[in-house]
Amino acid sequence: MNTTTRCTQGITIVDVVGHIDLSSSPALRKTLLDSLKGTDRLAVNLVAVKYIDSSGIASLLEVLKEARKANKRFILFDLTAAVSQVLQLTRLTGVFEIRASETEVLSA
Amino acid sequence: MDVCLQFSLPSHPRYLAVVRAAIGELSSVSGFAEDQCRALVLAVDEALANIIRHAYGSNFDQPVEVQCRVLGDRLEFTLLDQGEPPDPARICAEPMDGFALGGRGTHLMRMIMDEVVYETVPGHNQVRMIKHLPAAGHEGEQKGNIT
Repeated sequence: MNTTTRCTQGITIVDVVGHIDLSSSPALRKTLLDSLKGTDRLAVNLVAVKYIDSSGIASLLEVLKEARKANKRFILFDLTAAVSQVLQLTRLTGVFEIRASETEVLSA
Repeated sequence: MDVCLQFSLPSHPRYLAVVRAAIGELSSVSGFAEDQCRALVLAVDEALANIIRHAYGSNFDQPVEVQCRVLGDRLEFTLLDQGEPPDPARICAEPMDGFALGGRGTHLMRMIMDEVVYETVPGHNQVRMIKHLPAAGHEGEQKGNIT
């Protein structure tokens, strides 16, 4: 898994590429929590995530909790079928703010 | 003819992707749809992750065996380890809803598979997961489907 972080129109966007699993979710968690410290709006681009497991979901949930605690927005966008399927199986689709595209994130 | 794939590997997370790739392909050639293949991969991956984290306490050089068999009307996955046995009281102990950070793996395994059995065999902990093949007349009732 690789991540790159950029800032667009005041929103911090983390692009994630690859598999989010037991070996990579701690790094993702750290990247997202670090990014959250410096922004009010953090969005995660998941278009290139081919796999996510429950440890990856737990990492996203932890960041969401931190964001809510700090009254910040945490958005997931461009979900692949793999990510959507795991969010649905874990019944978390309604818990996260999910957008279809980066354009939608920027206009939301 | 029955098919059997067998892996002997260390309990290191870097090998998870190797097993996932093989299980995805085996599920696909066994007739499962794409979302079902992803679900089966997830269930086995979660079982392996539990072995690494809980049976071996994230000790990454311990032995794990994974057997994947196509037997008649079903796919059967058997995972063996020599670590701490799972505590039955903790398996699916918490509901999956809500913001809990852990405990989803065992729920996913049970949601996706038709059967999940934890056993102790001489010298090993064993988790056996069974999924009926779609060709065996279970197409309309596959678990793990997204509706």
